[in-house]
Amino acid sequence: MIKSSTGNLHLVRDFVEKKAAEMNIAQSVINQIIISVDEACTNVIKHTHKYNDHNEIEIEIEFKDNQFIVTLKYEGEAFDPTKKETPDMKEYFKKFKIGGLGIPIMKKSMDKIEFKHTKPNNNSLKLIKVI
Amino acid sequence: MDEFTITEKKSGDLIILYLNGFLDAHTSSVLEKKFEELLSKKLYKVVVNFSGLSYISSAGLGVFMAYIETLRSNSGDIKLSNMSDKIYNIFDMLGFPILFNITKDESEAIVKFNETV
Repeated sequence: MIKSSTGNLHLVRDFVEKKAAEMNIAQSVINQIIISVDEACTNVIKHTHKYNDHNEIEIEIEFKDNQFIVTLKYEGEAFDPTKKETPDMKEYFKKFKIGGLGIPIMKKSMDKIEFKHTKPNNNSLKLIKVI
Repeated sequence: MDEFTITEKKSGDLIILYLNGFLDAHTSSVLEKKFEELLSKKLYKVVVNFSGLSYISSAGLGVFMAYIETLRSNSGDIKLSNMSDKIYNIFDMLGFPILFNITKDESEAIVKFNETV
């Protein structure tokens, strides 16, 4: 559980790295998991919690059926990243766009992403990597 | 230990930035401020040396996207060098090498600036 602040992102990355290393996962795969969790937490901190660090994000890690699963649980308005359209990167570079790359990085790095919102305001975001 | 620091070297109208630590949503504003400072001094030719950088997320990538157009429109550029495989993979994942000149060594980046002057 962390306070919802970008100052805690490095703690999240360290936690994920430690857990993944315990499973003897290849470093290149660990790096993909770390950046996905970072991007997911950053989006929650920025967009859902709007940098209000009275909010919290709970991070659970489990390893089952050859899947490394990171679950973020947090309160706030529902936003399903799986529904967000992936930008056309050629167009993105041509127009010198900024931002919006967190979700594409998560989608490229993980095998499956699942979002669930339960009333009144509970969110669960699962980032799944098949090992 | 500092989370993210920048040291710099000036060579004529060229600036070389050495990034140290990690560049994420928490530290990216430090790099933004550095680019703002360079713009205010009308310094548009920038080499960024990544040898001391251990991590970058999309917040870091966003800083380069935010300034590349302005620097290029002022006859400058941001050239990136000395990336570890880990950092390069993040740039490469979304195709950043299409837009950015990424060289193995700082000296190659400097040569490329001289070629285009």
